[in-house]
Amino acid sequence: MKKEINNKNKDFLVRLFKEYYFKNLGILSPPTQMHNREFGIMTFGGTVIRHLSFSKIGSLKAFIIQNVPSDVYCSNAYYQFPTFPITEKCWKGADLIFDIDLNDILLPCQKEHTFYICSNCSFVSTDFLKLCHECHNTRILKNTIPCFKCINSLKKETKNLLAFLKKDFGIQEQNLEVSFSGNTGFHVVVFQNNYLLLDSKSRADIVGYLMGKNLSPNSLGVRNNKGGYKIKVPLSGFSYGWRKRIVEKVKMPEGSNDNLYKFIKKIGGYQSFKNELDKIAYEFGLKLDPQVTTDIHRIFRMVGSLNGKSGLTKIVCNDLDKFDPLNDSCFFENDKNVDISINTPIKFHIKGKKYALDKSISTVPVSVAVFLISKRLAHIANYSP
Amino acid sequence: MAKYPFLEEAGTYIRESYFDLDDFNRSEFLHIIERATKRVEFALIQGKVFIDLEKYDIELFTFLISLIIMKYIDEDSAIKKFSLFEARRVEKFLISDLLKEKDLKKNLLISKIFKELFQLNVELEPKKNNLFKMNISDYLQRATQFNEEEWKLINRSVDNGYVYLDGDETVRLIRSEIYKLIYNKIKNMNITQIPEQIKIHAILIKNKLTPPVKYLRNRTDFPPCIKKALELLNKSENLPHSARFMLATFMLSSGRSVEEIVLLFQNAPDFNEKITRYQVEHLAGKKGSQTKYSVPACSKLINENLCYATIDCKGITNPIQFGRKR
Repeated sequence: MKKEINNKNKDFLVRLFKEYYFKNLGILSPPTQMHNREFGIMTFGGTVIRHLSFSKIGSLKAFIIQNVPSDVYCSNAYYQFPTFPITEKCWKGADLIFDIDLNDILLPCQKEHTFYICSNCSFVSTDFLKLCHECHNTRILKNTIPCFKCINSLKKETKNLLAFLKKDFGIQEQNLEVSFSGNTGFHVVVFQNNYLLLDSKSRADIVGYLMGKNLSPNSLGVRNNKGGYKIKVPLSGFSYGWRKRIVEKVKMPEGSNDNLYKFIKKIGGYQSFKNELDKIAYEFGLKLDPQVTTDIHRIFRMVGSLNGKSGLTKIVCNDLDKFDPLNDSCFFENDKNVDISINTPIKFHIKGKKYALDKSISTVPVSVAVFLISKRLAHIANYSP
Repeated sequence: MAKYPFLEEAGTYIRESYFDLDDFNRSEFLHIIERATKRVEFALIQGKVFIDLEKYDIELFTFLISLIIMKYIDEDSAIKKFSLFEARRVEKFLISDLLKEKDLKKNLLISKIFKELFQLNVELEPKKNNLFKMNISDYLQRATQFNEEEWKLINRSVDNGYVYLDGDETVRLIRSEIYKLIYNKIKNMNITQIPEQIKIHAILIKNKLTPPVKYLRNRTDFPPCIKKALELLNKSENLPHSARFMLATFMLSSGRSVEEIVLLFQNAPDFNEKITRYQVEHLAGKKGSQTKYSVPACSKLINENLCYATIDCKGITNPIQFGRKR
């Protein structure tokens, strides 16, 4: 029975995904140096196929329509031989990528719209599950439907990242691409040449910088000294980067060693100063997924492709303020209805309309059905194409 | 230029002077060979930086002869040690030049050195407190080799794609490259016949050298991080401060005596018995603040890129627990 339901869901999604790629082929734009990129797909059966290569966008589109994958990926890296195994690909560089995801931004509202779903029997709980209450399966999926607050927080974090990249890293506006991931986050890609050849360790240092990790009192001239502290204002000053942020935030005197000594004494010594720094670093530090940035062989979701976890499109955002993910990235129809059975009561909005569905069979527009089935929160009940 | 005899111009100078290796056997070169011998002995025997500076041609030939001596000695640990002390000599000159030479012409020379030897663009920023700036990518390529927190980008002055450093920091950043440059110069040197006069001096130095000591090689119960540090030390690699700290505290906690630990560091290219003894005694709580230092936790070692965990490390949070928790 379960298998039959899953097959019906899969058939429905495959049909709709195929239709999407037919109608919206233009959205899939070729990445720069396409012939040097590795492509990958995930099938609806959950298998990842990597090491694919396409030199023209036409052949990629034909491949997608023929195979109808749930997800399409393209490497951030450039290779001489993209189809070879990783160690033989001959790495030529990689775009610098960042992932801002709700999983990394802890918001109090998330509990209200996060679901824990059993991968076996689709049992849904709003409380954290380690083990399915129904079938005792341990493979539990976590799915979130972002609310307005979530989206605004994601946008704010993305804007902070862009500000950091422009101000501190000198990255020009035209070398930045911001896109909605199609699910619960935003992706930022830097196409600037001088960051292309950085290894994984250097990228880890960049992401550490952005996240506010390992900020040391030493860099602000305050050194731990046998339980006390000593001061040596750095020659390179406090005028830039994190040093500037800290100095402005704690209103630290910039002048002499003496003034700084008195200031640290006033706030309670070395440890108090360090605690203060940690607090500020957490406050100003960005909430990013460091693994995405440090991975120089990653296959990253392709712009214009559908996200199999939501049925929404990964789409470039030219105006972040005006962008509404659950409207602008949903390309499925609203004028055709299907019956779905909902696994749990749920409230959300999509394509400008609010929905409050209870645990029963509902007739909903195709766009809603694709969204909820992809999120594993509903099953197709009745659909005749 | 006398301070930097490894620049391309030095090679050109020698080529243009129609100099032949056999010329070193002439008596007028003896004082330069003796000077080069002294320079090598300073590094290999006394463990000191040779800071004496002569005029350009003398410096150039002294440098060349000392490289030939090292080529003849042909012992990797000795070559590493010599390279390290030569690198420190260059460092000293570079730092003082970077601090003093603020006029554009002299600064161009420094920029040229960075550009020619290390393909690194370093510019002086007179408007920004006379700091040196370099591209973030150039900085990261070098700084990520260090494990110390101070080199993390977050602890640097960063603005508009550049990292701002003072002269001292700029030179420290390329420390290992200067070392590699000298090491490779010796290793890649191709000499068919070493002049007799140089050979005689080289043999004298070689006889004075103590062979590298192999310690604790047979022990298999050390955690992989300690094994790795010992392995590097046995190869006379220059261990970072954090690795030396880890090794010394681990050995102290394993019940080894200060004496044994001091001997362990004997292969370090910059080994100085007096300093090492003081430092180990300090860690053991016998000197200074009387605090006995403990072995850094695995989490700290991961952060410092000193962790080489294997399956046997499962369940431990500190290297000292290795082999106890299974």
